[in-house]
Amino acid sequence: MNLNNLKPDGSMPAKRYGMIVDLNRCVGCQTCTIACKHSNDTPPGVQWRRVLDVEQGRFPDVERLFLVTGCQHCAEPSCVPVCPTGATRQRADGLVTMDYDLCIGCASCAVACPYQARTIVHEKEGYYAGGQTAQEKKTTHEDRYGVANKCTFCVERIDTAAVTGRVPGVDPEVTPACATSCITQAIRFGDFADPASTVSILAKDSRSFQMHAELGNDPQIKYLYEVPRSTPGRAADPDDLEDERQSDPTNPLVGKRQAFWDYRAAMNFILGGMASGLMVAAWFAHAVGLLAPEGLRRITAVAAAVMAVGLFFVFLKIGRKLRFLFVLLRPQSSWMTRETWCVAVIYPALAVSYAWPQYLHEALALLALAAAGFLLCQARILYASKGIPAWRAPLIPAMVIASGLAEGLGLLAILSLSATMQVAPVIVLAPAGLLLVIINTWAWRCYVDSAKAAGIGPLARLDLAAASPWIHATGHAVPLTMYLLCLAVAPLAQPFAALAGAGAVIGGALWKFVVITRACHQQGFAIPMQPQRGSGKRAAPERFALP
Amino acid sequence: MSADAPRTAAAGSKMVPLYCNQCVCGPDLFKVEVKDGVALRMTPNFDLEGVHPAGGRVCVKAYGLVQKTYNPNRITQPLKRTNPKKGKEHDPGFVPVSWDEALDIVAGKLNEIQAKGMRDEEGYPRLAASFGGGGTPTRYMGTFPAFLSAWGVIDQGYGSGQGAKCFHSEHLYGEFWHRAFTVVTDSLNCDYVINFGSNLEASGGVSGVWRQADARSRGLKRVQVEPHLSVTGALSGEWVPIKPKTDPAFMYALIHRIVLERNWREVCDVRFLQEDTNSPYLVGPHGYFMRDGASGKPLIWDLADAKAKPYDGAIADAAMEGAYTVSGYEEGPDGERWVHAQAEAKPSFELMREHIRQYTPEWAAAECDVPVETIRRVADEFVAHAKIGATITIEGVTLPHRPVGVMLGKGVNNGWGGYQAMWGRTMLACLVGALEVPGGTMGTKVRLNRPADNRLKSAKHGEDGFMTYPFNSTKKDEWQSKPHIRNAYKMLVPLAANSPWSAALGPAHLPWLFQHKAPKPWPRQTLPDMWICYRTNPAISSWNAPEVAKRIAEFPFTLAFGYTQDESNWMADVILPEATDLESWQMSRIGGTGSAEQFWHHQGWALRQPAVKPAGDCMDMTDISTELARRTGLLKKYNEAINRGSAAMALRGEGYDYALDPEVPHGAKEIWDAVAKAASHEVSGGTEIHGIDWFSEKGFMIRPFSQLEWYLYPRMKEQGLRFEMPYQERIKRHGEQLERRLHEIGIEWWNPQLKEYEALPGYLAFPDIWENYAAELGRDPKDFPLWALTSRSMQYAWGANVGLPLIREVAQNVSGHDGVIINRATAKKLGIADGDAIVLESASGITRGRATLREGIRPDTVLLIGQFDHWATPVAKDFGVASLNSLTDLAVSLTDATGSGADIMRVSVKKARA
Repeated sequence: MNLNNLKPDGSMPAKRYGMIVDLNRCVGCQTCTIACKHSNDTPPGVQWRRVLDVEQGRFPDVERLFLVTGCQHCAEPSCVPVCPTGATRQRADGLVTMDYDLCIGCASCAVACPYQARTIVHEKEGYYAGGQTAQEKKTTHEDRYGVANKCTFCVERIDTAAVTGRVPGVDPEVTPACATSCITQAIRFGDFADPASTVSILAKDSRSFQMHAELGNDPQIKYLYEVPRSTPGRAADPDDLEDERQSDPTNPLVGKRQAFWDYRAAMNFILGGMASGLMVAAWFAHAVGLLAPEGLRRITAVAAAVMAVGLFFVFLKIGRKLRFLFVLLRPQSSWMTRETWCVAVIYPALAVSYAWPQYLHEALALLALAAAGFLLCQARILYASKGIPAWRAPLIPAMVIASGLAEGLGLLAILSLSATMQVAPVIVLAPAGLLLVIINTWAWRCYVDSAKAAGIGPLARLDLAAASPWIHATGHAVPLTMYLLCLAVAPLAQPFAALAGAGAVIGGALWKFVVITRACHQQGFAIPMQPQRGSGKRAAPERFALP
Repeated sequence: MSADAPRTAAAGSKMVPLYCNQCVCGPDLFKVEVKDGVALRMTPNFDLEGVHPAGGRVCVKAYGLVQKTYNPNRITQPLKRTNPKKGKEHDPGFVPVSWDEALDIVAGKLNEIQAKGMRDEEGYPRLAASFGGGGTPTRYMGTFPAFLSAWGVIDQGYGSGQGAKCFHSEHLYGEFWHRAFTVVTDSLNCDYVINFGSNLEASGGVSGVWRQADARSRGLKRVQVEPHLSVTGALSGEWVPIKPKTDPAFMYALIHRIVLERNWREVCDVRFLQEDTNSPYLVGPHGYFMRDGASGKPLIWDLADAKAKPYDGAIADAAMEGAYTVSGYEEGPDGERWVHAQAEAKPSFELMREHIRQYTPEWAAAECDVPVETIRRVADEFVAHAKIGATITIEGVTLPHRPVGVMLGKGVNNGWGGYQAMWGRTMLACLVGALEVPGGTMGTKVRLNRPADNRLKSAKHGEDGFMTYPFNSTKKDEWQSKPHIRNAYKMLVPLAANSPWSAALGPAHLPWLFQHKAPKPWPRQTLPDMWICYRTNPAISSWNAPEVAKRIAEFPFTLAFGYTQDESNWMADVILPEATDLESWQMSRIGGTGSAEQFWHHQGWALRQPAVKPAGDCMDMTDISTELARRTGLLKKYNEAINRGSAAMALRGEGYDYALDPEVPHGAKEIWDAVAKAASHEVSGGTEIHGIDWFSEKGFMIRPFSQLEWYLYPRMKEQGLRFEMPYQERIKRHGEQLERRLHEIGIEWWNPQLKEYEALPGYLAFPDIWENYAAELGRDPKDFPLWALTSRSMQYAWGANVGLPLIREVAQNVSGHDGVIINRATAKKLGIADGDAIVLESASGITRGRATLREGIRPDTVLLIGQFDHWATPVAKDFGVASLNSLTDLAVSLTDATGSGADIMRVSVKKARA
């Protein structure tokens, strides 16, 4: 610590712990990986510090390098605001921490991380078949199952430093295990806020990059990519960024499909989206006089039932089910928390509409407002998943909302077949339906067309392209045609509207299912600058004398 | 200097210091955290942070030791075989027995041998023993070396892979030329390295890897010349994908460029060549040094007064080029002399230039499949970086500074072409005066020369101004005319010398081959009455491992020291479970200089200790050794061997005596306590004596070691010695003598090897040897169109850790650990996709695995990392990973003159049928 760097009031400056990773030094030996496993007792298959073996180019112009990955302890961590419980937080010294006792295992943080840093292990297993060894039993942490895990920068060691007066990054016992075990000093840890720290000096004296800097997380691992004084780095070769390379499953830089949110999560987006849409659509129908109060209540009840099924699927998915109420703890930043608060309004409001019918109108108005909020939250939850390019695309919020409303309206049209719902002639709804279908069609088309520009990788784009005709057919062509027929052939308006509604619902379900469970590839890794080395045109430049 | 107090561990646990010597680059030190008697985690030993060349750190492999201790597949009781039939296909039917019963069986066999005589009717030792690579097992076998010493006659010549897996030719020629059992560059001071396939970044140990990283950051440029882009190639400034086994052609073309295309007097270190090598020695018409009639010393032509003078005379300007008419004599084989009144003689440097003239860059470019510009540029870069004339001051002493080096990988310096590659490398160093000076090419330790613990002191004055070398004599009356052990190194390989290491450095694959099919004539090769197998698994690790497994099955009695079931101890009669790395006592030297780049500023001793109790009934190797000695009546000799230093260091010496009572057995801790006292006496010069308890807490004890002891050059100058380069008169003479000796007893089958004994080694089309080998087995060479190579896995090599899923998990992050690396375009042509099941076949073997498609490999080459194809080792037997050892063959035709082969084979690759 440089004492000249004290704040004017004499207090210690804020720390900003981070790492330097030198691509020119790392040999990919995995010593950091295994030392981390030792130090942090991670279970089989979990590597908080993973080193990738990357190959770029094509024979005979090839380069191979080793890329240290793991939690980047971002200055603007995308995992923190999405956490609905406050289990993931950022400390004043920059460390992004995990409170295993608060985490419910919803995996919001895992899909929000663009660095594939997080894991969730549900089952306790040993390395050998036949149960854990004596050592494994003693190093198992019961509190880490079913919850999100990630690199902590060996936070216990850093906290020890505060007690012992030793300096993280200087004294090995208070420095993360990966850095102290590294056999090339490729990984250096320290305080970027201290200009005298080794990491600050290295960052000052050598050029470095932050991975995915464009995403704005301000990650605190800085990668050095040049041999100082002799061999400058080189920008990524266009060949390495071409689709074929970026869709090669053997390329470790390429993100694979996330497995955190599966069909169960999709079910919530599908059922919750259409249910909230229905609640909103029904209330509007009621507001413009198309739907009687009783019908509104009945339809809203149906919608609530659909939404409940979706929520139940989510409940099935979370790692720590008994803690599910913790989800309410972070309304200040988490759209998942807010979504749950909306739920907490919707069902009581519905109950009020039955228990005290005199307040039916007010209760269902409130409910519709909460449903709109719910739909907005869903849109923002998906959009906040920064680790999944297909989810964080700019059009996603609009698509979720427009689709939810279209599906809701569609459901309303279907429900109107039943006299008990007391829906007025649906022909009146058709123009609204048409408008929503057009918006949805346009949005999907733009989403698919702009996918590459939005950073969605070729593998995910393939999934989108494969599903796109089906989505256009069911979700766009059918409703469009049917709504037009509804308007044109008045006597058959009801069934045509219902068919249009069915198309909208199916199409909505389809695209969400595809986007959430198929085109859900993780961000992957990138090496925007790299050392000059390898064969042919990638080889370091000729040098006859050293500087 | 001694260690600080151990750093505090988490509450309720303690940090126990130990060493790791799983590979030759150790020992490195670590601490293991133990709680309630269970080892939990490991950390480097940071007490050594400012001392150890790699900051006290250990590599990935060391971290496997905790899981190794608790592997549920461990053998924890002595096992006895019940099925008399041996072989891969026969379940051994092992049953647990008591230690008493197991030791009685083994001692009974040993006593039978003692009764019958130590050698059998053919003169071969009745007891044979094999140990794992590079001497690493000795850091784990406690006092077992003392037992072997007490026993006496043992055949240690059954290889477990050496010859192909070790730096074979480098060991022999390296020690011969510059006391370099292994050769490295002084990366601390080096700026430019041409590396022919040495996979330092995977095999250099923590010290090597650390130093290389520092060198890279400093700006060292490395040109990696190898057929596939290894981990080391990845970290090099340039990768030159050369055709396998053509490396000497590349080197010769570099020399050609330097001494024929460039003005050699401008770019070479002329003074070094004149004064410090045999370059100016005059060579007569018969190819031997022209010697002074009176003194018998080789002559040098002094241009200053146009006279020939003995090499150590007052020579003002030694002639390096041209031809001179001189009088003198040449001494050929078996004392033959050619006396010349007037004969033309040329400096050996002139002959070298004439020799190298044929090896043009254009020729090499075609041979190596490398652009000719690359060869010329690399040669030019090499001399440009050599800084001829520069000096560096180390510890107050000014030395030449030549920051260029050449490294060789195992596949390059082993087998045919090894001599040429070694000569080419050493010649390149000599041209620029970069041999054994700061920044240049240098050795690490000696194993064939003595004293074993100081390579500099082993540089003693021999003939003709060169160092001595303990050749196995090829003179008529001194030659070993009959194998004294089954690999016959004394008979066939003069350079193998006759140290305790020589058995392992001979043609150690020949016993396996000759057991099956010996050439004629050759004495009948008998089976050893007992074979001991310790920390080695030749049935996996040897070249043609499946064949070796069959030969092991033929042994009448095998004693294996076992950790888990494996492919070699599958054939054992008795398996004794030893207490492993974290469970037993031993002291080891640390520091000084050693493989790969262990260049310390300190040296001393470190302890390995039982951090936890041995699993089950596992026993400390020292206690097993003591028991065996006691039951075979060798206790006194065994204890005396310990006292002499057979297990570690002498317990009795000048000014100290910690010797054990030779008459009674001693426990492991007691023995190592005595070693600890002797060791601390040595480290402290007798001022600070510590027993085992002190070491148990502190872990190690060291003293300073001068950096000047890293380099041989000052010692050479001090002794007035020259490096024996470029001309190999002694090699030539030994070759001719050996040819006569072998022919005298009718052996003609070693003739191809005898041709290698050239004074200036010529290039053969080395790839052809392997390409044509299929024809020798009656197969069509065209059926095997690809080269198969191997490469080091840092995660697995030498660790016997394939049964540890933790190691597998992290190793799989490194490409090639799950499949055979194939060039993507080649795979496409073969219809193979990534992950496809494939079959690789050579003329002699077959292996199966999966395909891993990469760009960093020549289209004509496939790469099989590490050694796999396990069929008995738990966990590993389910890997489904192919192994080169199932494809290579044991053959005389694939064996070079030093008795080595190379880890290379011609193969076909096909997609496996579903």
